[in-house]
Amino acid sequence: MLLIDTNTCSGCRLCEKNCPFAAMLIVDEIAVVQDNCTLCGACANVCGEHSITIERAAATPEELAKFKGIFIWAECGESADGESLVPKKVTLELLAEARRLAEKTGEEIRVLVLSDERPVNTDDLFAHGADGVIRFVNKLLWPYSTDAYTTVISAMVAAKKPSIFLLGATPDGRDLGPRVAARLKLGLTADCTQLEINDEGQLIQTRPAFGGNIMASIVTPFSRPQMATVRPNVFAVSENPEIDRKGDIEDFDVALQRGVVRTKILEVEKVGETGGGIENAEVIVAGGQGLNSPDDLDMLRELADELGGTLAGSRPLVEAGWIPHTLQVGQSGITVSPKLYIAVGISGAVQHVVGMNGSGSIIAINNDPEAPIFKVADVGIVGDAAEVIPALIKEIREAKKAA
Amino acid sequence: MKILVCAKQVPEVTNVQVDPETGTLNRDGVASILNPFCEYAMDLALELKEAEPDGEVEIVVLSMGPPQARAALLRCLEMGGDSAILVTDRKFAGADTWATALTICKIIEKLDGVDLILVGKHAIDGDTAQTGPMLAELLNIPQITYGVGLELDERKKRVRVRRENEGGFERVQMRMPGLVSVSKGAASRRVCSFESILDARAKDISVMTADDLGLDEAELGLQGSLTQVVKVFPPISKEAGRIVNGTDAIAAAHEVVGILKEKHFV
Amino acid sequence: MNEITSQQLPEVDFDSVRRIDGLNEISANYAPYLADESKLPHQGADYLFFPTNEAELAAIMREMNTRGANVTISGARTGLVGGCVPAGGAVVALDRFDKTVDIRWDDGTNEWRVTAEAAVTLKDLNDWANKKNFPGLQARANDETLAQLEQFKNDPRSFFYPPDPTEMSASLGGTVATNASGAASFKYKDTRNWIRRLHVILASGEMLDIPRGKYFATDGRKFTVIDSGGNPTILNLPGYDMPKTKNTAGFFAAPGMDMIDLFIGSEGLFGVVSQIEVALDQMHEGISVVQFLPSDTAALDFVIALRDEADFAPEFLEFYDGNALALLRAKQIDNPKFIDMPTIPEDAGAAIFYDISFNADDPNPDFSKLKEVTARCGSSLDNSWAGYERRDLARFRHFRHALPETVNAVIGERKKTYPGLHKLGTDLAVPNDSLREIWGFYRSKLDTAGLEWVAFGHIGDNHFHVNILPKDMDDLAKGLAIYRDFAEKAVALGGTVSAEHGVGKMKKKFLSVMYTPEQMNEMKALKLALDPKAMFNPGDILDFEGAAR
Repeated sequence: MLLIDTNTCSGCRLCEKNCPFAAMLIVDEIAVVQDNCTLCGACANVCGEHSITIERAAATPEELAKFKGIFIWAECGESADGESLVPKKVTLELLAEARRLAEKTGEEIRVLVLSDERPVNTDDLFAHGADGVIRFVNKLLWPYSTDAYTTVISAMVAAKKPSIFLLGATPDGRDLGPRVAARLKLGLTADCTQLEINDEGQLIQTRPAFGGNIMASIVTPFSRPQMATVRPNVFAVSENPEIDRKGDIEDFDVALQRGVVRTKILEVEKVGETGGGIENAEVIVAGGQGLNSPDDLDMLRELADELGGTLAGSRPLVEAGWIPHTLQVGQSGITVSPKLYIAVGISGAVQHVVGMNGSGSIIAINNDPEAPIFKVADVGIVGDAAEVIPALIKEIREAKKAA
Repeated sequence: MKILVCAKQVPEVTNVQVDPETGTLNRDGVASILNPFCEYAMDLALELKEAEPDGEVEIVVLSMGPPQARAALLRCLEMGGDSAILVTDRKFAGADTWATALTICKIIEKLDGVDLILVGKHAIDGDTAQTGPMLAELLNIPQITYGVGLELDERKKRVRVRRENEGGFERVQMRMPGLVSVSKGAASRRVCSFESILDARAKDISVMTADDLGLDEAELGLQGSLTQVVKVFPPISKEAGRIVNGTDAIAAAHEVVGILKEKHFV
Repeated sequence: MNEITSQQLPEVDFDSVRRIDGLNEISANYAPYLADESKLPHQGADYLFFPTNEAELAAIMREMNTRGANVTISGARTGLVGGCVPAGGAVVALDRFDKTVDIRWDDGTNEWRVTAEAAVTLKDLNDWANKKNFPGLQARANDETLAQLEQFKNDPRSFFYPPDPTEMSASLGGTVATNASGAASFKYKDTRNWIRRLHVILASGEMLDIPRGKYFATDGRKFTVIDSGGNPTILNLPGYDMPKTKNTAGFFAAPGMDMIDLFIGSEGLFGVVSQIEVALDQMHEGISVVQFLPSDTAALDFVIALRDEADFAPEFLEFYDGNALALLRAKQIDNPKFIDMPTIPEDAGAAIFYDISFNADDPNPDFSKLKEVTARCGSSLDNSWAGYERRDLARFRHFRHALPETVNAVIGERKKTYPGLHKLGTDLAVPNDSLREIWGFYRSKLDTAGLEWVAFGHIGDNHFHVNILPKDMDDLAKGLAIYRDFAEKAVALGGTVSAEHGVGKMKKKFLSVMYTPEQMNEMKALKLALDPKAMFNPGDILDFEGAAR
């Protein structure tokens, strides 16, 4: 229920302007809520007098059952030419997983696409399993801002009442998810790596905690939608997209005012070594504390080049300034799942391992036979990287020549 | 200017082990420490304080947790915090990120004139990174997550934050009051001097309980949580792989490249 | 009582002991057993044994003795003087001696005692004692030990094994052989102080079971060992006095001494230590402090003031001279191994690292005396690093490790140009009243010679290490000459040429600075009385021309 404190309301019309659904009117200099209010919280968010409060009473099972459908936020990046926007890979991963869940619940999957006026490739979304797309275009939606996205997404979710809402656990996904959850008073589970539907139709959200030392399964019994951010590079993108599959695109028009956005990006500094970024690399050669000097990275780069891969590293190298944080694999860095991961001089602390143990094949090179990295490696070489890596490079070149 | 740093006490997870049979955490001999990311948040707060030599910046540290969490607050005071608030009550036990954010929100609403809230980007036990943004939403203030450096504008009305993201860094500006969640920047953990450790013992740590909040008991702790943990279990460990002796690097390389060929990486 | 009788162990077939034959096979697949941290080259090995119990050890000794083969005992191979580097014959690896045997409370001394096998590492022993969980002991123990273990678990206090030679992967047996000490010996003394019982397997294959406090030298310096057949052997101890410092040079000898002390620090020249009973001490809370001071001399003043005046006992006092800090400062900038190390202040001219008791819960701790001493030495508690949480202690421990690691890295780099180059590290100690004098002597000699050097280590015991970092072979020759001067000076001041590393193969040449030829002969006679063919650890401490073969 939405409550307005008529003693403090100044009639400033901020809520009227900012209500996505035109459900707030100022009558005789006092805000009055209309019947089409969805309780999305945008008005309370902008009210300078704190005159608007929303009481969200616990829902009954019958009320919860009315929520239907799986929503996915399509986080977008710019295309190479900057002319269009492209949903990030994690969106396709979420679609594949949502498809599997939808088989059980029989629900439809809708993807929320927020963008400026540039075109967004939605064909891939349908091909990978979306039944529909809900779109909102506004120039305030590029680049990403916490405030604009929270307002629009909360409005969409409040109006459409899905039963499950998934976001990628990317930096922006983890920035946005908790804001929306807090605005709508929804339970939220962070950084999930497994999702299941139990016999009662609840979403079982499983995630690592304690730096990857333990897994916890979590349910959201009292609120809908059940919200979760999902770790990128854990679920596989469908290998057989249905190219001809189509779905409906619904334009969702809400009011979005510039004043909502309270942050401003002044500058962007790209530091990635390669264009692609390690999260999408098929082969990664990663270095760790066992390397002797920054010069050792040259041989790792050379090995990566021979295998068509990318250089990465563990946290100590980032902290020593040898590599930028965009190349850091692990719990506090990026989770990767390349087809081949070569760990050089990385001891294999659990915080690193959780960021790479989804890799297809893992080769570890370390001079300490007790290093925990050997527990996750498919092939472990106990030896001095300074000798083994050049030998590997030479051997690979010879093998290529022979072929 | 008043900076509030939210700090959490966590087990030192690098030493945590899981009992493979029961799936429970074995906390024997595991120390309780100040969450490292909260420590980095303290570090940024202290950098601001040190940049304002006229003593204009006051740092208040807040922690919600059991009475033992006092030790984490003490650590913040040793680093250079001015005073601390311990929010502790058995009724808070089992709070998820929502119930935690709500409780802390109610405490902050009782404090005067907080200009900037700094939190760690996540706690190393829960790893959720949710409480900070939820708190900002409940307080209805803007946020910048994953900050690694900050400075005030000339008029001290705005804060400019260097923020980590997937492609590199952004410099983001925000009106205050606002909340910044802090990631690990370039600096190593701050070390305290013996003098500052001794000085911290004279600083004030006040205690607040559920009675100070004005919230219904149903909104607190486990009862007030929107999520429930139904099961914990150890991660599935992989079978040991093949070990190659690298003493003879050339022979080892030959063997490994053979495997790479089989798998079509070469 | 000065007579001890050795026991026979159960007969075991020599060929049933796990054995690797031939240098080719050993160097191909077991190369680590041919080296230790000294990095000395080995002189070959014909067998490598992995015995699993004392009876197997005895079988090896009987057989090797009959064949006239040398035996080098191999523990964790963390020694710095080449004790584990074989000189032909057999290497006996104690890897399988890795279990706890017993735990019990001793009423007489009011202490918990743990009996463990020789290859248990100090790290494991401390972990187990700390967690009060000894792997596998429950399954092996008899009812009485089980009851004691239960009582230990229920003891609310925390315990640890105090000797801390910095390298905690060292084996218990190795630390007994070298009487290891390290930083904490300033408060806790050396390993000797914590050993309560030993099992020693002799060249004959018979075993001595020596508890502390039972067998004492009589007639001044005499013991008698009687074998199981009733044949006595008289042991005459050397007549020298031990230096008034901690010491690992030469066999321990004193009038009326306890027999167990003869074996501690004997570097395995009399037999193999297979099982050890140690005492544990109660853990107490402390704070680690790295105090920066304006100069080396201020640091020395600080040490002397803390030692003589302060009303509290630091657990250790470690020194970093100005050169050492400068080297760390230069190397810590971009090395990821040092990421957790705070930045060393620019104006620090030296540092003293110490640990003192500290109760974190005390709301009003009083360190006014410490403040006064620190101020008098030109610094303040503001100009320090301090921490009492375990992770901070670990971090400071890392600081302690960083310097030797950095020195080794620098030398490693220079070795690429001059393969024969090595670092020169002293292990000299002097009595308390000579600290300022020896420091002045070191400094003037080193600076006059124009060598690159750092000094660091256990200044509480007037035992810090001077490391000379030669830039070329010429520097190395200059350094070697100076080293001998240092050793002579230390001995002249009543000190020792080897305070904690032992003598082994590396420091033999300095033994003659400390002992006369007659005293060396007394040591040799004692060795041959217990090991007539000089088969144990050939090449260590004493030279026997062709005696064993």
